[in-house]
Amino acid sequence: MTTASESIEATVDREVRCPVFHQDFSEEKPLGSYWALADRLREQGPLYFNSFAQGYWIFTRYDAVRDIYKNPEIFSSESITPWDPEPIYRFVPTQIDPPKHIKYRRILNPWFSPRQMDAAEPMIRSICRRLVEETAPLGRSNFVQEFALRYPTEAFLGVIGVDLAHADRFLVWVEDFFRGFGGDVEGQQGMADALQSIRQYWVDALAERRNDPAPREGDLASYLLGADYDEERPLTDEERLDMLTVLVLAGLDTTRAQLGYMFRHLAMHPEDRRRLLDEPELIPSAVEEVLRFYTMIFGDGRKVTRDLEFHGAQLRKGDMVYGLVSAANRDPRVYERANEYVIDRKKNHHFGFASGPHRCLGLHLARREMQVAVEEWLRVIPDFWLATDSVIMERGGGAMTAPLDMPLEWEPVA
Amino acid sequence: MKIYIDPDECTGHGRCYRLAPDLLTYDDEGYVSIRGQPIEVPKDQIEFAQEAEGTCPEGAISLIHED
Repeated sequence: MTTASESIEATVDREVRCPVFHQDFSEEKPLGSYWALADRLREQGPLYFNSFAQGYWIFTRYDAVRDIYKNPEIFSSESITPWDPEPIYRFVPTQIDPPKHIKYRRILNPWFSPRQMDAAEPMIRSICRRLVEETAPLGRSNFVQEFALRYPTEAFLGVIGVDLAHADRFLVWVEDFFRGFGGDVEGQQGMADALQSIRQYWVDALAERRNDPAPREGDLASYLLGADYDEERPLTDEERLDMLTVLVLAGLDTTRAQLGYMFRHLAMHPEDRRRLLDEPELIPSAVEEVLRFYTMIFGDGRKVTRDLEFHGAQLRKGDMVYGLVSAANRDPRVYERANEYVIDRKKNHHFGFASGPHRCLGLHLARREMQVAVEEWLRVIPDFWLATDSVIMERGGGAMTAPLDMPLEWEPVA
Repeated sequence: MKIYIDPDECTGHGRCYRLAPDLLTYDDEGYVSIRGQPIEVPKDQIEFAQEAEGTCPEGAISLIHED
């Protein structure tokens, strides 16, 4: 923390009765800094007020984070970034509250269901296998800028029926967007431009499909042209664009980051690589534990809809709150061996995919991508290591952290 | 013992039916297929039912013990 005190700073115009500090969470830091910060905050106290931007509350413990997620009528998703209560974007259904929210989710859920993922797995696996086979002879990879970005992008585009030849465009837009999304002021213009480009892509895609004689099989944009809201009326173009745009932003960068953290762990822990090769049935729990222990969700924001007392805070309507997911996921009050990576952990009720009605739409896809990545990579490249002694940096935890770099090495495989 | 999935709480994380695949499965949207009614847990599934209950981030699963 830059400053922390029990007293009230001048920037806070009310009595908050908890420690106040002023910190920009968008800064790049050495990888792991944000988890360490979350651990420290959680063990020092359950509640803080960050006077950054307009000021917002931070809840650090599992119970409070759970209660934020489970009470969407109090904690609105109108804004999910606590330093930005009036965002320039509107993600659907991400920023829609119940009861309307579920009506949008029901349109999208089947596209990302476990059954759909079973059907898509051969496609996902063949993308993964091709990329691993291209990479293996090189003996090195900057993992998060190469494999871990390209693979989930192609897999996601395949699942929603976009031509994989367009993948390169999406890669650039997603990078530009997330430079601004974490709260970094200099990145704001790039974020706005990237959003505009993604939106325009879908404007064109919808236009191209609008006069099709029949819906295109396995093509989400085409499907949305025929989809109804609550069996009442067709979706509007605005809604279709909002939905398609957020899927791109939610589906690509997130998986890249989690793959990065997972493969860093595997690079540093040969015993766990060996264990997953010997006991591949542990791969799903190994993935789940990455989502808990190495979560890329530093925290999740919500907007308060009415005055209330909540876990020791006197909240007012319009306040922003930040549930510190990374702290909750390692809260020793609810986890045994909370600060260890336990590869076969069973009781794993983590919030790496959020909770409540807004639980991550793409979680079945994300898990499947991660599982397939481990299987296919270890099959061809069973031994690999971090190819640097210098510090790896991660993007700030304002919105979502991500390793900026991940040089891996191995004996080149013919 | 019976297992009960609260239909208002289940949001389809899918951790329970991964840990207890012979007891629970999913519907077309990814929710647990049988919600809102208690399901009898066979003796050889009790361990998995307990794991399922412990892994749900929504607290949607309860185990009903009968004497």
